[in-house]
Formats: sequence, structure tokens, C-alpha cells
Amino acid sequence: MILGRALVRCLAVLALLIATAAGAAEYPTKPIQLLVMFPAGGSTDIGARIVASIAEKELGQPIVVVNKSGAGGQVGWTEMSRAKPDGYTLGFINLPGLNTIILDPERKAVFKADSFAPIINQVVDAGIIWLKADSPYKTLGDLIEAARQKPGQITACTTGILSDDHLAILMMEEAAKVQFRIVHFDGGAQQMTAILGNHVEVAFDNVGGIVKRVQSGEVRALAVMDPARSKFLPDVPTTPELGYPTVLSNSTRGIAAPKGVPANVVKRLEAAFTKAMENADHVKKMEDTGLAIKVMTGDEYRKYYQDLHAKAAKYTEWARSQQR
Amino acid sequence: MDTLALLANGFVAAATPTNLTFALIGCVLGTLIGVLPGLGPAAGTAILIPLTFNLDPTGAIIMLCAIYYGAMYGGTITSVLINVPGEAASVITCIDGYEMAKQGRAGTALAVAAIGSFIGGCISTIALTAVALPLAQLALKFGPVEFFALMVVGLSLVIGLAGKSLAAALLMTVFGLLIAMVGIDPVRGAPRFTFGVEDLLDGVGFIPVAMGLFGISELMLAADSRLLKPISTRISSLIPSRREMRDCAGSIGRGTVIGFVLGLIPGVGAVIPTFLAYVLEKKISKTPERFGKGAIEGVAAPETANNAYANAAMVPLLALGIPSSPTIAVLMGAFIINGLTPGPFLFQERPDLVWAIIASFFIGNVILLALNLPLVGLWAKLLRMPYHYLCTGVLLFCILGAYSLKQSVFDVWVMLGFGVVGYLLRKLDFPLAPAILALILGPIMERSLRTTLEISGGSFAIFLDRPIAMVLLAIAAAVIVTVAFSPKAIEAVSEDAQ
Repeated sequence: MILGRALVRCLAVLALLIATAAGAAEYPTKPIQLLVMFPAGGSTDIGARIVASIAEKELGQPIVVVNKSGAGGQVGWTEMSRAKPDGYTLGFINLPGLNTIILDPERKAVFKADSFAPIINQVVDAGIIWLKADSPYKTLGDLIEAARQKPGQITACTTGILSDDHLAILMMEEAAKVQFRIVHFDGGAQQMTAILGNHVEVAFDNVGGIVKRVQSGEVRALAVMDPARSKFLPDVPTTPELGYPTVLSNSTRGIAAPKGVPANVVKRLEAAFTKAMENADHVKKMEDTGLAIKVMTGDEYRKYYQDLHAKAAKYTEWARSQQR
Repeated sequence: MDTLALLANGFVAAATPTNLTFALIGCVLGTLIGVLPGLGPAAGTAILIPLTFNLDPTGAIIMLCAIYYGAMYGGTITSVLINVPGEAASVITCIDGYEMAKQGRAGTALAVAAIGSFIGGCISTIALTAVALPLAQLALKFGPVEFFALMVVGLSLVIGLAGKSLAAALLMTVFGLLIAMVGIDPVRGAPRFTFGVEDLLDGVGFIPVAMGLFGISELMLAADSRLLKPISTRISSLIPSRREMRDCAGSIGRGTVIGFVLGLIPGVGAVIPTFLAYVLEKKISKTPERFGKGAIEGVAAPETANNAYANAAMVPLLALGIPSSPTIAVLMGAFIINGLTPGPFLFQERPDLVWAIIASFFIGNVILLALNLPLVGLWAKLLRMPYHYLCTGVLLFCILGAYSLKQSVFDVWVMLGFGVVGYLLRKLDFPLAPAILALILGPIMERSLRTTLEISGGSFAIFLDRPIAMVLLAIAAAVIVTVAFSPKAIEAVSEDAQ
């Protein structure tokens, strides 16, 4: 009896020791929040939910995707930059959208380029110009011609002010010497509703958001804004093919943490997310929705982020001079 | 195959013992989520998604849908018992539900909410099966222009929520709209009305404000009036009498229609149908003065609308692939994780699954009723607790709830601050509901107006080009004009003047 009690006590102490040791070393011990700065149903959101569902098995804790949309992502990034850097709040960073917000003085963003520690990149998603399947504009040429006839009257929508899509519209306007009437939405899901409901005429977005809809015949893609054709939509011409070599756009999306996140946490996340993104299930689900995977981690991703930030300074300056 | 045969197959797939168990677990968990004020249905469903990972897609989605309904119902319980809305959709239930509880009719209020929810949910699901696809296409006609007009109608209803004075109601509306403006500009990004306070960058949370205005102020009023004894020592019968059921049969019917129709439109949210249903009841009632004093219709209609909405909101998701509320977005995530893309092609690619899910809506509604009716007595007994214990419990519950929203102490201060504001406003006889409604509608209204003006190139004439928007704006104008110039209103004004 006494022996039994002593044994129990020993075991309890041992269990406590193990628990404390594990507590210090073993992140994560509770659910992780993964912020997506665009509404549910858009291409960032779909990619985030796919990787979260696989990575949480690697990490052993649920990853909860939370949508915080508004002002082209600024609402969500504001919240993310102010979150505790304990590894339990992560967020998607969409480049160059994040960079232009930081670089545009009018936005008064409370975060800077170094407010976020990039962990792993998931996707580089080429820009695409698309509209409803029954639109009178069958080709990019038709659309440009119409915009020339009716300057400033064809409504074209973005996923936020100074987002990659907004920049793409400005590039198209400059290259073709036309003017669109620009309408800003919070994300791809709103664009889809507005286009299908005939509220807006054309959308500038990314391939990942619409491949399924193009395949189903609901919408028509006019041009991919990339030097090479998209493997998901091999029949859609590129802007350089159509005579607009300067109209190039894409969105690079990856996962970051608020700055100051401990190195062991970054390492754990990097390993878990790399494994998840290389998982066959991840590859297949991403391909099915038309999201082009591009995994970058560590120095490679950090350098990409810094280089892009430097490039975005030029874009932002130019875009601000173009804006009406 | 025709719809009925498809649905029958769905029932066969959904009614397996395993799936029934999932539906039951989902309803129980959902009810708990609904009861906790900090944990809304969206967050609750998101956290519970991993529970469903090892299930097959049908089981997983059946369980998540059950959690969703359960949460919608659970929110009612705290609204009625302690005047603290468990989630946004049950804010309006506080008004008459809590009054009923004070009169010892908490059981009746909860029972009628359960019955109304059941009927609303079932009829809405039947309508969903019958008309899902064509109606979904129609709902796409609601663009930013129509949305703004719809929000104006919503706001014009504050007049229906006005107490004695129309001016007070309008003032409270402006107050609500002002609070809604705090935070980051939703289009251009610059911070507004934050006064350099970093915590205000994320805006003022709706839940802490509602908990403060309704719940905390209630505690203060109670302390004030030294009402420190049990609300009611005797709880009258739990099941509504035949007369009461007859009284609210119409309310349940109207609530169903409102909830279903608004559920079809992506982005309306669960709150507006409940407000609309409440106001409509008050408007058409022969005895509108009973509202706010424990009118059973004031519980039946919004609770029914709430559940009818929850079921109808699945239409845009299943038929168009558009999630119409944060909770539905989480459900959409569950579809995607299970390798299914919601949208028109889901009906063609996986009819077995879609119909099994639709069948499970019926099953879920039955389980919810079976689960909640027997528990009504238990919940109502809570009120027998001496008030000073209950009071402390409620305060603790509110503080934990506000904190758990974002693990932020700031939200607790917001709640306590608005508790004081609510207390003062109630002392001065200002109605609180218009402020809450404006706080909810404000952001959607602002966003849709700004998009509308981007589409029109800055011209307001666009509203004249859109028939739906025109009709809606005309309705709003009619509501305001009839109320402002009705004999009763004039009487009230002259009373005020005296």
C-alpha cells in the first residue's frame, strides 16, 4: 500500500518533469491561427485551407484559417503585425500587395517590411484577365477596342487598391493607352459574384481563382499576364503573345510570422510546412484548383521578399502617378 | 432521377447510425458553442474542423452542419436567461426573451424558440430542395447597388425598434454608425477615428459592445434597483399553451419566409433577418405595446428567421460556391479539404453527397428539437439561483467571453465601457437596439456604397437604373414616411413636447 503510494508519487513527479521538458521544447501545444487577408473562397484562401489541413497533421495541432479582409489586406496585416510572436498567429503574405501598402505613404500602415518574418512560400500565381462567358468581348483585342471606344466606362475590378491586380490594370491602361473604370473588391470571391451577376464587366485576378470556372464554362479567360502560358489553361494566350510584353503580373503567396518569433519555432514550422507542401495530397489538390506551387524557405525566401520589396518601390511610385 | 428520389437516397445515406451519431455530437457541441458568448459559430466550427478529419466527407460535413445549427440555437439560451446574446443572431431575442424570463416564462420562450427554429429550419430545407438552383442564380442580381439599398431598408427599420421617441432612435442609429467607422478604412486603408490607440485599429468588436450594452447594463440596473432576489421563484409551464402557440403560428410562418429569402442572398448575414422579423411582428401586431414587455411573438419570429436563414444560406454555397457568412466559409473550407468544390457542378459531380447533406439538415433539425425541448426545464431552473450568485456568474461569464474573442484585455474594457454607456442610455430611455443594428449594418453599408460609386463613376443616378434597388429604396422611404406622419407618431411627438 505504502509502496504503491510512493510509486504513484514517483510517477507523478516523473510525469511532471517530462511535461515541463516537453512544454519548453515542443511547440506547438495549442491550435495555431493562420490569417488570410482576403475573404473565403478566393485563391489565397483555398491554398491556405489546403495546406493547413495537411500541415496540422505534421504539427499535431489544429491550424485554424481565419479570414481578415479589407483594404487590399491592410486590415489583416495590421492585426498580424500586432500579434504576439509566439508562433500561434501566422499569416499569409501576398506579394507585391503587402509591399505596395507599406510603400504607399497615404496608407499610413503601422507595419513595415521587417514586421514580418517570412517562413515558407507556397504559390506563385500568374495574373489573368477574365470575364463572364456570355460577355460580348471574346478576345483581349475586343476588350481593348471597347475600352478605347468608351474611355473610362468599362468596369474592371481588382482584389484591393494597389494589389497586383490593380497594378496590372494600370499596366494595361498604359500599354494600350486606354482607361478603365476601376472597382476595388476585397478578394476573388467578391469578383466572382460581381462578374457572374453582371455588376462588373471584367476582372483582373490570378489563375488559381478561376481555373475550375473556366473549365466549367462559366467564365472566359482572355489573357494570362505571364511570359509563359499557364499549364492549367494551355489554350489561353499570354499578354506578350498578344502584343503587350510590359503587362506582366503575378501574386506570390507564402506564410510568415510576426517579427521576433523564436528560431526554434521557425525551424519547426519550416520543416512541417515543407513536408506538407511536398505531400502528394497537397500537390494534387493545388493542381486541381490551378494553383502553381513554388516552395521557398530560409534565405531564398527572405531574399525574394527583400528583392521584391525593392522592386515594388518603383511600381508604387509609378502607380501613384497613374492614379486618378 | 427526380428530386424526391434523390432526396430519398440522401436520407438512406445520411441516416446510418454513424452519421446520426455525428449529427448528435455536432448538435451538442454546437449548442455549447452558442451558449458561450465569446465563441461564435464561425470560430467554434473552425476549431472543431480537425475533429472531422478522419471521417468520410459525408460524415464530416453532416457533423459540421449540425454544429452550425446547434450554435445558432445555443445563442438563444443565454439571450433569454441572462440578457447576454451568445452570438450576434440572438441579439434581438434579448428584448422580449429576457422579459419573458423575468415574468417566469423562460421555459416557454426557450420552447417556442426551439419549435420555431425546427419549423423554420425544416420548411426552409424543403424550399431549398425545391428551388435551390434557380433561386441561387436570381440572388446574383444582388450586386453592390442592390446591397446598399437593402441595407438602407434594414436601417429604416430602426424606426420600428424605436421606443417612445423617433428622434432618440435616430440618434442611437448615428451613434452605432459612428462606432462602425472606427478602424482601418476598408477601401483605401488609412486608419480612421483611432486617436492613436493601436487597439482601435482593428475596430470596435460587435460582440463586446452587445454584451456590454445588454448584459452588463442589465447587471448594473439590477444592482441599482436592489433587485437582488431570484428573477422568478416559480417557473410556469414550460410548454407554450395552445393560445400562445396560436399567437405565434403566424410569426413562425413570417419568420420562415424572411429567413429563407434573405438566406439566398450572399452576404446578408444572420443578424438582419432576425431584426427584420422582429420589426415586422411589431408592425403588424394589433398590440405593438406588448413588444419589449415579453411578447412571445418577439421571440418566435426572430428565432425562426434565424434558423430558416441558416438553412437557406447553404443555397449560395451549394449552388454557386459562394460562402455567404463566416460560418459558411468555414464549412466551404471543409468541403475543399475533403476534395469537393462547392458550386453548380457539385450537384452533377457528387449528387449522392449533396443530397445526403440536404437530408442531414432535416435530421439535424429533428435532433436539435429532441435535444433541446427536454433541456428547456433544466436551463430555466438556472434562474432559480439567488440573484447575487447568478449576477456574479454572469459577470464572470461576460468577462471571459469578451477576453476569449481575441485574447485581448482591451475587448473586456470595451465591454465594461459600453456597459456603463448602456446603463446611462437605458436610464434616459434611449433604445439600444438601433445602435446595435447600425453597428452591424454600417460596415456592409459603407462598403457597398463605395463600390456602387466606383461602378457608377461617382454618380448617384445609378440607383435609378436598377429596378431592384429602386423598389428597395422606395420601401425604405415608405417605412420612414408612414411612421413619421402616422397619427401615433404625431401623438408621441406632442407628448414629448409636453
